[in-house]
Amino acid sequence: MLETIPALTEIVLQEGGGGSAAIPANAAAALAVGLGALGTGIAQRSIGAAAVGAVAEDRDMFVTALIFTALPETLIIIAFVTIFLVG
Amino acid sequence: MSARTSAGESNYEYVTARVRSRRAKLFDEDDYRKLLRMGTGEIARFMEESDYEAELNALGSRHSGVDLIENALHRNLANHFDDLLRFADGALYDYIARYLRQFDAWNTKTVLRGLYSDADREAVEVDLIRAGEFSDDRIDRLLSAGSIEEVVTLLEDTRFGDPLADAYDEYEERSLLVPLENAVDRAFYEGLVDGLPNEPDRATQQYVDFLESEIDFRNVRNALRLSRSGTDMDPAAYYIAGGRLFEESEIRSLVGNTDELVARLRESPYGDELEPLPAVGLSGVRVRAREDARGRERPGDRAGQGGRPRRRNDRGRTGDPMTDRPKPAGTQPLSMGEP
Repeated sequence: MLETIPALTEIVLQEGGGGSAAIPANAAAALAVGLGALGTGIAQRSIGAAAVGAVAEDRDMFVTALIFTALPETLIIIAFVTIFLVG
Repeated sequence: MSARTSAGESNYEYVTARVRSRRAKLFDEDDYRKLLRMGTGEIARFMEESDYEAELNALGSRHSGVDLIENALHRNLANHFDDLLRFADGALYDYIARYLRQFDAWNTKTVLRGLYSDADREAVEVDLIRAGEFSDDRIDRLLSAGSIEEVVTLLEDTRFGDPLADAYDEYEERSLLVPLENAVDRAFYEGLVDGLPNEPDRATQQYVDFLESEIDFRNVRNALRLSRSGTDMDPAAYYIAGGRLFEESEIRSLVGNTDELVARLRESPYGDELEPLPAVGLSGVRVRAREDARGRERPGDRAGQGGRPRRRNDRGRTGDPMTDRPKPAGTQPLSMGEP
């Protein structure tokens, strides 16, 4: 099984050869944005929960809470830049 | 079992944010200094301008003076803890609930003492702290119970059910309340560390440590009291498993030998917190709660209830576990005793 792998990669590389990458550039950029969004979501999950808790106790916290909740948005914005770099 | 099995994931972030925000509203040191100079009326007015307004207004027409303050604090505490349980989900709910069950234990004991001493319903009701897991409905039924046997039956489906049923025979035999109260205490304390994760992460480990020291404190107090009172009660009957300090086998010899007991306490991890006082002997040992670890006193210690930490001070108590027996009816708070 293992000894067939080099041969297999050889074939795959030849098939996909001709200069084009295994993943087209546009798809890669889309992936990058998608993964960035995932990261943002994970970060906002806990920040959002804490922010809602704080606002529920004290309405004056609303603006601060909103700012902190929005901070991880920078992740997706930076990922968004990828599209222009690639495209 | 009254425990709600809470579904979902623990929502630490949400609960922590709310609790932190509430903690910030507690009286701080400056307030405390101000309160020290006030009379009860002024304190009540002071509280009225703070977070306690709702409770004070609700109770203002029925109580006055110290009673008003105390009841307002009780009710406020109960509201906050109810909220905590309402917020929390999943494992977090279980962690909070297992500690708050001390109020269930407290309420159960108060009701039992009330019945034992023929206190009227009103007197018992004001001393309850409705913060535990028992629903209001259950507490009302407990209050309307006509006999101790009825209380034992009412609690059948809770964690206190079996131990109480076992202790009831002994109660009938000797008509002493102690076995029943001891059963409630043991059920609570043994449930405290039961079923916690075996390999907790660091945060959980701290909580486990906290719960274990809670058990240790109770064991130490029982040992000191038994030792001081010199009764021939079996110390093992009051021993609560799960702590870090004592083994069941050693507690008997330690209770018999006060010096050894004190020496043992000094060597223990709590030794640093012990403050030597001029008079040596039992009264010279001050078992202090670790204030930073606790921040709150247990229900029976009165006065600590606004959330202000207060030193635990066992000095000068001559009591033994028997002091947990009810005060004569009518003479105000059953809550004077320790839980």
